[in-house]
Amino acid sequence: MKTRVRFAAAFVAAMTLPAGAQSLAPSPTLDAVRARGHLECGVHIGLPGFSFANDRGEWAGLDVDFCRGLAAAIFGDPTKVRYTPTTVQQRWAVLQSGQVDLLSRNTTITFSRNATLGVNFVGINFYEGQTFIVRRAARVTKPAELDGATVCVAAGSTEERQAADWFAERNLKVTIINFQRNDDAISAYDSGRCDAYTAGVGALAGQRAKLRAPNDHVVMTELISNDPQGPVTRWGDERWQAIVRWTLNGMIAAENLGVTSANVDQMRTTSRNAEIRRLLGADGNFGQMLGLGNDWMVNVIKAVGNYGESYERTVGRGSALGLERGVNQLWTKGGLLFTPPFQ
Amino acid sequence: MLALWRDRRVRDILSQVGVGLILVGLTVWFVLNASANLRQAGIASGFDFLGRTSGIEVAFVLTDYTARSSIYDLLVVGVVNTIVVSLLSIVAATLLGFLIGLARLSRHWLIATVAGVYVEIVRNIPLLVFVFFMYGGVLAALPGPRDSFIFFGISALNNRGFTIPVPVDGALMRLALLAVTLSIAAHVVLALVSKKRRDATGQGLPMGVIGAVLLVLFPLGALSFATLMSTWDIPQLRGFNFRGGFVLVPEFVALFLALVTYTAGFIAEIVRGGIASVPKGQLEAARALGLSPMTTLRLVTVPLALRVIVPPMTSQYLNVLKNSSFGAAIAYPEVVSLFMGSALVATGQAVEIIAITLAIYLAIGLAVSAFMNWYNARVALVTR
Repeated sequence: MKTRVRFAAAFVAAMTLPAGAQSLAPSPTLDAVRARGHLECGVHIGLPGFSFANDRGEWAGLDVDFCRGLAAAIFGDPTKVRYTPTTVQQRWAVLQSGQVDLLSRNTTITFSRNATLGVNFVGINFYEGQTFIVRRAARVTKPAELDGATVCVAAGSTEERQAADWFAERNLKVTIINFQRNDDAISAYDSGRCDAYTAGVGALAGQRAKLRAPNDHVVMTELISNDPQGPVTRWGDERWQAIVRWTLNGMIAAENLGVTSANVDQMRTTSRNAEIRRLLGADGNFGQMLGLGNDWMVNVIKAVGNYGESYERTVGRGSALGLERGVNQLWTKGGLLFTPPFQ
Repeated sequence: MLALWRDRRVRDILSQVGVGLILVGLTVWFVLNASANLRQAGIASGFDFLGRTSGIEVAFVLTDYTARSSIYDLLVVGVVNTIVVSLLSIVAATLLGFLIGLARLSRHWLIATVAGVYVEIVRNIPLLVFVFFMYGGVLAALPGPRDSFIFFGISALNNRGFTIPVPVDGALMRLALLAVTLSIAAHVVLALVSKKRRDATGQGLPMGVIGAVLLVLFPLGALSFATLMSTWDIPQLRGFNFRGGFVLVPEFVALFLALVTYTAGFIAEIVRGGIASVPKGQLEAARALGLSPMTTLRLVTVPLALRVIVPPMTSQYLNVLKNSSFGAAIAYPEVVSLFMGSALVATGQAVEIIAITLAIYLAIGLAVSAFMNWYNARVALVTR
């Protein structure tokens, strides 16, 4: 008797679930985020323009915007995020142990990280390239002129090994001093321990502000590497990976399709472009296919704007960093940012 | 069977074997469980990574490591750097600590007060603050490469470090140093032989002449010969900095100074306590015998005080070893900074790397303890 009641209850429950939900692969991460009521996002410990807490303790930046957008996609509310600041050394352990749901922190995508750390790189939100900051008085303009110099770097970063490889390949003798934290490396450079500090050109634009006299230093324009960066998830939860990937793709697609935070509501009701209608949930049930609401991208765009809006506000011309779009421009406008179609 | 169980010796052995088995079983279970979980999470495990090329440049290397060496070689560099800074700090902190401890007991008011203030200040400031303070201080005090302090035209001191000449081929120099060590050892042996013979016959060896030859003439000759015969790599200012020679980095100096000043404060208190524990009667007896204050210190106070001083000194020495890991905060390339920092992030194999690091600290620590226990047994009161 009891068994039969339980069976009947389960049957009713199964039948009344939303139609899309039945066919979904399990996503323990999404379930955990929903149960918790907020997203746990691993960010950089403090990098102006990318992830930086202001004097009121509010996080802002390009990488933080992505966390906010993802929270909006899941909850419809960009504030439902808790940020875990992570150093270069901590980041993998924090992600692997499940302390955060994803990393969105200036992390370069590399082969060995993907192959041995149990992590997935789901997309690219910033094409970074490594370069050097030097004193104006040193009168050097190219990395190759750094022969004999001492260079400060954050230990365990891609820059640490990239710099060693690059100088070794050119038979240049450079002393590399490896600090545990970016900030220690910068302050050692500032105090004269090193002739140069090396990091990504975007990171340097923000970190330069931490120097005592920023105008006495120049960032070289020649890049010695190509360091694509983007959000990182754990292995073993494909649907979560898809949610993170398509939220990023959605922001890029929105810019390409001309959907902005200002016109998103109007676009949703009046646009006759099929891809815009699918992206914004006017046609089809794309949100539900991932286990989200169909208005997921509307919420993302309302919260942080499309990719271009987010870029200009955080690292672009609307910010203190003032970076050009450069390669971080849409593929249709000569850049490298690309998204597969929403179809 | 029951009879066996009643035998106390058998019971003891059985219970120890049981506990041993449980421990081994738990360890095996931990290892298996961890590797299964790592495999499931797609994280690489095992010790193959030690053979991979490290690709990491290190600024302070005492081995023949380069960025093209393996991660195992990187580990060796870290261990050597840890041991070097710990040993030198231990020796210097002991000397400084003894001086300050004696100064605290001085009857001279100013000396005793200065020593007391030093101890109180040093003991109440966290070591990390010391490390950063020394690093900032060292960097601020030294000029840039172009305004270096030059010594004898061959070595330079600036904020990139202290650059000294080294022989291009170190083999001859190493041979000379070995010969000098052997000659000093020979002197020690001959001195013992001489003492024994004097005790037996009243006639010792001519130690004055032997000492002059073995301790002064031979070492001077060997070192001068090696110096003149080697080609030297003399540092020269070119471009950004001095090229060539060996660089003693400011990180080393800062960490060394921090460890020495910090630990000396604790050692001073141990020394003071040890000396205060010497019974007054012994000192009065020494004075009654007409011994001078210096002779009393050397023959009565210090040997008696050592019995109290040595055991807590072991903990201080172990602290220096562990505290050397603070070097990671200022980029001194010791084992935590290189292996648990750079290598860990490069390979991502946290479990293995942290286990190896723990084992290394444990091994060095046990070696220090073993030496101190041996020394303690030597100075301990021999009861007859």
